[in-house]
Amino acid sequence: MEDGRVKTDVIVVGGGPAGLMAAHRLAQEGLEVILMERGAYAGSKNVSGLLYATVLSEAIPDFEQRAPLERPVTRRSFGFLDDEVFSYLTFGSRDWASPPFNRTWVVYRAHFDRWLAKEVEEAGATVLEETVVDDLLYDGEGENRRVIGVRIRGEEEPFFADTVILAEGALGIVTRKALETLGGMSQTPQVYGIGVKEIWGLPSGVIEDRFHLESGQGAALEWIGSPFKGLVGGGFLYTGKESLALGFIAKVDSLIAAGIAPYDLMESIKAHPEIGRYLAGGELLEYSAHILPEGGLRALPKLSHHGLLIVGDAAGFVNASFYHEGANLAMASGRMAAEAVIQAKLIGDFSRGALSLYERMLSNSFVMEDLRHFRRVPEAQKVFPRLMDVLPARFCRLLVDLYQQSTEPKRVQQREAFRKMMEGIPKLRTIKDLWKLKGMIG
Amino acid sequence: MSSQSKDKQGPPPSLYLPLEEKLYRVRYEIDSDHAHIRVDPEVCGQCREKVCTFICPARVYTQDPEDSNLVQVHYENCLECGTCRVACTRGGVIWSYPNGGQGVKYRFG
Repeated sequence: MEDGRVKTDVIVVGGGPAGLMAAHRLAQEGLEVILMERGAYAGSKNVSGLLYATVLSEAIPDFEQRAPLERPVTRRSFGFLDDEVFSYLTFGSRDWASPPFNRTWVVYRAHFDRWLAKEVEEAGATVLEETVVDDLLYDGEGENRRVIGVRIRGEEEPFFADTVILAEGALGIVTRKALETLGGMSQTPQVYGIGVKEIWGLPSGVIEDRFHLESGQGAALEWIGSPFKGLVGGGFLYTGKESLALGFIAKVDSLIAAGIAPYDLMESIKAHPEIGRYLAGGELLEYSAHILPEGGLRALPKLSHHGLLIVGDAAGFVNASFYHEGANLAMASGRMAAEAVIQAKLIGDFSRGALSLYERMLSNSFVMEDLRHFRRVPEAQKVFPRLMDVLPARFCRLLVDLYQQSTEPKRVQQREAFRKMMEGIPKLRTIKDLWKLKGMIG
Repeated sequence: MSSQSKDKQGPPPSLYLPLEEKLYRVRYEIDSDHAHIRVDPEVCGQCREKVCTFICPARVYTQDPEDSNLVQVHYENCLECGTCRVACTRGGVIWSYPNGGQGVKYRFG
């Protein structure tokens, strides 16, 4: 504090995985950090899928003993659904059922993020809840314009900092304004998916019976096919301790084009017997929704500026391939932003040049490596409507037809089953589409 | 608009929940002094598609019963998911964060 101004080393805007991990690392190194979270508590605005915890386990090696985790994922299934027929590919490993549980966890973010915020406070950072950052504070003009703090709603005086880390999540209101002011908007506009989820309460024993789980183990199911009506998207079901999280992710544009309301889709996927059966006897505990950035590599903005770094969903760090990984990338980006700020502090230089260490670290890490590897996901998603209405159905039907009992010779039955599978499929276009779809798997 | 009518079978009655029932399970701190969403009537008046009236998962935006060209906002149901901001490409939705601690307050998330 100098001449009455409130000044700190670092202000982190947003208490999700990216911001919390950044603040945690900075506080560990003894920097003065204030994290500002607009919700009543960290996680109160957040909606999760699975948590891949490889980065978390580096930051907090004993998190498994202390974090509020629901279940580790010990079994995974990919399901192809049609109205009448279905098929599943289920897999797992005995390794996954013992520590470190393949570092794949079902978590509820309102519990998990809140716990992580406590860890961050214990590491020495200040977490200000119910604090809305409306804008950044700038100094200088043009190329030399730099971020020197934040404006907080309801506070006349701004908060000053050497560096601001923007971790405000997918909504990115402050981030957008900052990029408009500083330049560095992505050349390709960001595109978004919407995730909608319901949490259903069920007794632990029922969940374990229904999903073939040993005590404390967990399952993750993902589906594509007819319940998703040719949208660019699919469904998921994850097991909590005494609850199930059922939902879907679909491209916002594809829902608009199809004229489908998210709550109607939610109801109609539950109407599929292969989905609804898992919820039977349960009780709805919560309904939630959130957008997620799916544009990948080409939609990333400029990440380092004078006095400013952008991390997590605000930057667009989501691997939207079939791995669908977001929180782990967010945590990695938060930690690397912190490392860059720690180095900048050592030399007393918070310019874009010094802070761009963040981008170099990212570039050499799995975060950018994965985004580069999956850079064709947006193109792959474009063929979804054509393929996903047909392929899962045909695949299921083929299996069912091959096992349909009859007095026909098997040779005839097999030929007929394969003929039906290919019937009416434009071969050349489908081969081209499949080639594009390959972008989803790298 | 509704996808349900196309389905061969409705959801089992115990699983089916109208939106009102879903929103009833969501915890909110409702800020009666501050509406964090506005719409620009000039923009809405020119907009035929009114995508906001079906794309919002909490049906925050409904057609004004008095004037079907306009849109009413039920900001107190907002899940702060961001979909309307992506969907309304005309800039008709003016959305700011609710005040600190207000708005949706997930218990699970």
